Amino acid sequence: MKTGPKTGTKVLLNILLLIYSIFALFPLIWMVILSFKSDAQMYNTLFVFTPTLENYRIVLFTTDYPKYLLDSLIVSGFAVIVSVVVGVPAAYALARYDFKKKEDIAFQILSFKFAPEILVVLPLFMIYQKLHIYDTYFGLIWVYQLISMPLLIWVVRGYFEDISVEIEYAAQVDGYTWYQIFFKNLIPLIKPGLVSAALLAFIFAWNEFTFPLLLAGTNVQPITVAITKFLGTDTAHYGQLAVAAVVSALPAIIFALCIQKHLVRGLSFGAVKG
Amino acid sequence: MSGLRIEHVFKRYDNEGKGKKKKVNDFAVKDLNLVTEEGEFVALLGPSGCGKTTTLRMTAGLEEITAGDIYINDVRVNDLEPKDRHIGLAFEDYAMYPPLTVYDNIGFNLRAKGVSKEEIDKRVREIAPLMQCDDLLDKMPVKLSGGQKQRVNIARAIVRRPDLLLMDEPLSHLDGKARQAMRTEIKRLINEIKCTTVYVTHDQLEAMSLADRIAIINFGVLQQYGTPAEVYDDPVNEFVAGFIGEPPMNIIETTIVGEGEHFFFTFKESNLKIQVPERYYNVVSNGFKCKMGVRPMDVLIGGPDSKGTPEHVATFENLGDERRIGIRVGDFLLMLITEDETRYKAGDAIKLEVRAEKTHLFDIETGARIRSR
Repeated sequence: MKTGPKTGTKVLLNILLLIYSIFALFPLIWMVILSFKSDAQMYNTLFVFTPTLENYRIVLFTTDYPKYLLDSLIVSGFAVIVSVVVGVPAAYALARYDFKKKEDIAFQILSFKFAPEILVVLPLFMIYQKLHIYDTYFGLIWVYQLISMPLLIWVVRGYFEDISVEIEYAAQVDGYTWYQIFFKNLIPLIKPGLVSAALLAFIFAWNEFTFPLLLAGTNVQPITVAITKFLGTDTAHYGQLAVAAVVSALPAIIFALCIQKHLVRGLSFGAVKG
Repeated sequence: MSGLRIEHVFKRYDNEGKGKKKKVNDFAVKDLNLVTEEGEFVALLGPSGCGKTTTLRMTAGLEEITAGDIYINDVRVNDLEPKDRHIGLAFEDYAMYPPLTVYDNIGFNLRAKGVSKEEIDKRVREIAPLMQCDDLLDKMPVKLSGGQKQRVNIARAIVRRPDLLLMDEPLSHLDGKARQAMRTEIKRLINEIKCTTVYVTHDQLEAMSLADRIAIINFGVLQQYGTPAEVYDDPVNEFVAGFIGEPPMNIIETTIVGEGEHFFFTFKESNLKIQVPERYYNVVSNGFKCKMGVRPMDVLIGGPDSKGTPEHVATFENLGDERRIGIRVGDFLLMLITEDETRYKAGDAIKLEVRAEKTHLFDIETGARIRSR
């Protein structure tokens, strides 16, 4: 007996999917096309043009672009590392221990993500000026915790809650210390959630624009902000702009593709009892 | 030399978290005393939240002892780490280490103790057939069924050759059939290894069938400690009487009426009248109020020329090898069990007889057993 949808429905569904994917992917494709066009052909060609690598040469070898890329990597990378180091124990505590205002604290952490960044950035700007951490790696990594930490804590907390506490007791009776239990037993168990949450947090941090735009600018310049530099005051070098965007999107895309499978499983597995 | 000795143990949980502004929590365990013989199988039996698991966890060292002492083989273990108490603990949720194979799960605690590889292998292979998990050794825990997991869990507890084996509701997550099979298996195992065992359960059937002695606990207080026969035939109070036995003992409020030389139990809004056993005559008087308890097995349906009280059937359940009949006595449904094949339906007239000598008397206020003097 046939259980799936009828052939006609299937075709229709696929056509709809195709339309959607063209709609979703077109900006990306257009960006890639732009990056191969010379300024001369920028406005008078659509899909047929003489491809050139000139834009890539200019952006990658004559500007500070690699430095911006490195900045982005440093800031996002360390932001995630800090989130993992601080967030995993926090998630464990929120999952295991009973303490005053536990749920309030958990909610507070989540609430960091509620307000639009632009709303909190002005007070943050003033605080950063006073603390002299404006435009430093430290400052940016710190503020990135608002993005990466809540995500990580909430995903990992769900994983910890799914692990029977009796495993810890068993290990205790077996004669292992808490640290051994934690690193040998619990960490492997939460790994799928931890990895996917960390990578997702990395992508979010990588794509962050508002904070680095307003809390950094000269010493530290993540790629998202640096791209705007290619919009000159007099002329816009769309080709170079496109190259900058393509290159900056690469790590995020590569990561997303690599962990695609884990991402869905990792993020849904912890939340739903399996 | 004794297996486990618990002396005047109290447990109170600190009042942290969970908003409520109660100053001091009640004791979870109150003045518990329990001594087991060596090699004895003792069941801690009680409803959820009565403190039986807390007691087990204090014995295992997973929980602080608020006051009192616990001795395992005459060694005071209050301040010993769980690993130094020479105990094996089988958990309710199996608590297997998911990344390890069954073999490694069983051998895990030996590895922690630094036992040599050959010795671990020898002992794991020795225990595995005992728990019928020799075919499972290479599997991962996620692949196992509930019953298999529990077998591995128990194997893991006994592989270390504990002085004291603790089991925390090991059967509660298994379904009917597996539970029965596992119960038999535990019984067989305990006969083989002869290890002092404390077994926590809320299922009186498990306790009755497995244990040498049963400790019945309610609200953190030990109610009665005795052999299955003792707690069944001679319960010390209403709680024990009602907890042991399925279906539970009928416990009805009664007023005692004296007629001539004899006393009778009489019941509100019912013409049921049962003679009080003569051994109670020195404790009862005309108008004395108490509760009467009688097991469903001791309530009978009389034959055609029975002198029993005429009553009507209120409910009838045919369970195959036995039939349960409910009879309304005032607002109480008196249950009786019979193996008689007769089918009744609600409303049928019957003659009700009660084995008067099997009745128990309980105090209305305290629930304590009233005994003849």
